[in-house]
This record gives sequence, C-alpha cells and structure tokens, in this order.
Amino acid sequence: MFRTPTTLYLRGAALALGQLFLPFVVVAILWEGFAIFGPFPPRLFPRIETIVSAFVRLVVTGILPLHALETLLRLTAGFLLGSLVGVTMGMLMGRYRWAEDLLVPVVSVGNAIPGLAYAPLFVLWFGLGNLPAVLLVAFSATFPVVVNAWTGVKAVKSIWIRAAETMGATDGQLFRKVVLPGALPYVLTGLRLGLARAWRVLIAVEMLTSVSIGLGWLIFGAREFLNTDVMLAGIAVIGLVGLGLEKLVFERVEKFTVVRWGMLER
Amino acid sequence: MKRFVFGTVASFGFAAVIWEAFARSGFFSSALSPSLVVIVPALVQMVVSGTIFVHIAYTLYRILWGLGLAALAGVPVGILMGRFKAVERFVLPLVSVLSPIPSLAWVPVFILWFGLGNAASVALVFYAATFPIILNTWTGVRSINRIWIRAAETMGAGGGELFWKVVLPGSLPFVIAGLRQAFARSWIAVVGGEMIAATSWGLGWVIFDSKEFLRTDVMLGTLVVIGILGLGFERLVFQVVERRTVGRWGMVRTAGA
Repeated sequence: MFRTPTTLYLRGAALALGQLFLPFVVVAILWEGFAIFGPFPPRLFPRIETIVSAFVRLVVTGILPLHALETLLRLTAGFLLGSLVGVTMGMLMGRYRWAEDLLVPVVSVGNAIPGLAYAPLFVLWFGLGNLPAVLLVAFSATFPVVVNAWTGVKAVKSIWIRAAETMGATDGQLFRKVVLPGALPYVLTGLRLGLARAWRVLIAVEMLTSVSIGLGWLIFGAREFLNTDVMLAGIAVIGLVGLGLEKLVFERVEKFTVVRWGMLER
Repeated sequence: MKRFVFGTVASFGFAAVIWEAFARSGFFSSALSPSLVVIVPALVQMVVSGTIFVHIAYTLYRILWGLGLAALAGVPVGILMGRFKAVERFVLPLVSVLSPIPSLAWVPVFILWFGLGNAASVALVFYAATFPIILNTWTGVRSINRIWIRAAETMGAGGGELFWKVVLPGSLPFVIAGLRQAFARSWIAVVGGEMIAATSWGLGWVIFDSKEFLRTDVMLGTLVVIGILGLGFERLVFQVVERRTVGRWGMVRTAGA
C-alpha cells in the first residue's frame, strides 16, 4: 500500500473513529453481560438487541417521531413565553433601580425552587394536559433568563452608554444600539440555561400532567406494561434531542451573533 | 446593608401583596389559591407539630447520600481524566452522551430496578450530580498551571505528594463549582423523584400528596420551605466552604471576602 496523504488521513480517521466508539462497545458488552447473567429478569433489564429493535419499531411506525414532535412543540411554546417574560423582567431590573430592589430577592428565592415542585399546584389550577405543562415550562425557563439578562445589562460598560448619550442617542436608540447588543452574550447564556432547564422540567412534567402524547409520557406509560425496552429507547431519544438542542441551536446562534461581533471567543 | 434589608422586606412585601390580590380576586376559588391568612397558619402548624422537619430530614438524607456517592465517584474519575489521556478518551464520549439526558427521564426505569422508596431517589440524585462533578473536576485538573507540576516534580515530589499538595488543591475551585452545580441539579431531581417514586416522607412527596386532599395551603407552605432551604444551601454551605478554602488561599475572589 502506498503511503499517500489520503491513506494516512483515512487511517487517522479510522483510528479516531475507533477511539470514539470503543467506550460504547465496552459499555454495550458490559450491559449484555449484565442482562444475561445479572439478577434482573429480561423484562426489567432487556438486552441491547431488544432495545434497538424496539427503537426501530417505534421509529418505523412513526410513534416515536410523533411523541418527539409533540414534546418539541410544547418546549418551543413554553420556552418562547418564558424567555419573553424573562428578558423583559431582566432588562427592567438592569435599567431601573426600583425594579431591581423589588424583584431581586423574590427572583433569588424563586430560582431556588425546582419548577417541578409547582407541578401539582399547576395541575390543580389549570387541569391536566397541555396548558399546565407549557406554563410550567415557561415558568421554569424564566428564572435563569431573568438573572442573566439582569447581569448582562449591568455589565454594559457605562462609558458606552455615556458616549452614546453624548452623541445624542435617544432612549430607544440607546436601548436598541447599545444596551441590547452589549447585554446579548449574557442574555444568550441565560436563554441557553433556560432551555436546558425547560427541557429537563418538560420531560418530568409530562409524566405528572398526563398529557396524551409526549416523550416523558411515553416512557412513563411504558412502565405500566413493563416495556423496559420502550423506556430505554425513549430515553435514548431524549438524550439525542437534548444534545441536538445544545449543539445545533445554541452554538449556531452564538456563532452568528456575539462571536461574529467579536464579543466572545470561540 | 441597609438598602439590602430594606429591599428584601419591600420585595417580599410586594410579592405578598400581589399574591393576596390574586388569591382574593376570585380568579380561582379560594380552595385553589388560598390567602396568606390560611397559608401561614398551615406552615406554622407543620413546624409546631414537627412534621416539616421529618420531611426535610428525609429529603436531605436522600440528597446527601446521592451527592456524597456522586462526589466519591465523580472526583476521582475527573482527576484521572485530567491526568491520563487514555482515561479522558474513554470516559468523555460516555459523559457527553449521558449528561444531556435529564435525570428524571430515568425515574420509570429506576422505579422498576430499585423499587419505590429511598433507593430510587438516591440513584436519581446520584445520576443528576455525577456529571457536573466529573466535568468540572476534569476542567479543574486541566487548568492547573503546568509549571506548578513541573516545579513540584523538580523538587522531588512523588505521585502521592504531587496529588495531595498540587493537583487536588489546584483543581479545588472547579471541584467546588462542580459540587455547587451538582447540588442545584440534585435539588430538582430529589423533589421530582419524591413526587413520582412516591414514598411516605419528603418535601416533594408532601406537595404531591397534598394535591389529593386539595391542601393548597400545605403545598404553598412547603414550596416556601424548599425555596429557603435551596437558597440557604447555596448561600451558607457553598459560599462558606469556598471562602474557607480557595478564597482563603487567594485562588478566587469570593463574595463578601
């Protein structure tokens, strides 16, 4: 075989790929061993091929995509609502002393309460189904957004504001051209944290509010029938969606805004 | 300081007024949104009868076990990852795949594996807490100035000494940050776990159980307790630990130091 750069590159790539997959292969072998020789009956601790075939079956019949879509819609609705409220509150707190004094203590205590703890209350207030789930997601997403938007506005250099004022910027201009872009790296961090939190809460709340379709409900409902394979396939999808949200949505947004403006190194 | 006290009082006063107006507006019936006149006595009654302390004790027991086990497993793994490239290559892909899965997604599985009760909740806290600890410890070890390690080696420090005197203290700010993050996640996991993997005690359980009897006053009282405890842990435990260790050694600036 000739040692052309291409073959060398291919070898390197194969090696890297092997290194990436090795841990998963080892874990899969351990899992198989435990499934076959471990103390659990196969119904509770299924073998990998059972999980994979359940996964394939659910994808092909369209059940899994349907549940995932429904969950993502709920996430989008809740997250948009939460971030809208959160950014507004955070900006107010950063710009006005009275809003800061009034809201900071309440927000810090509220931030320390897991959103899920409100779930039973929301169910009593709004019934079962979509409404309490979306509102709870919005509610949980709000807190990290508020805290970071507030910090972001406070972090805008006062010299920028003074310079803009000297040059005759109106309030609206000041806000759109200086405060908003200046605070944006923090706001984006807040949105990212908010989305992560919303995602975590949503999965759990779908178990509690008995929505009819959704990934959280899928895995919780599978418990009744001891369909551990369905549960684990559902968990895999939840992990994939979570990873996708992080990698595809936020790293992109950051790259196109704050990194491009040179405010954040990547 | 004066402004802080004033602001806090005004803030909670403001929140109380908003709530009271909402409760009395008749938007929901008073059984669903009780007035403060009902919530406060419910909370006082729980404190006087001592039940709230039992719930708190159960929740803390679960969280401390889970967090302790996670630290016991996560810190060594993180340190090994930072020191040995092979460990890093093996563990990192697993961690990046497992860590985005919300811990609560495992509840149904853990219930089947560990049964209802303490074990499932502890396992849940463990799952929630391990990954932030691993990732932060790993970052911490990598952030250690290489010169420190070389200097210690030149002066004849062995593996053990190097570990105890350089690597561990050097990565401690990150380890503490990891524990802090881990606590925040465990706090969510334990409340959710207690609701679903229902036992008979615990702050999450009492909220969920109150729903059956429409005791919204108990629910809201417990929510306040959860908020105060969560904030208390964050402010008292972690900030004090930080100030006593890494803050005192001059490695980071801590609030109020």
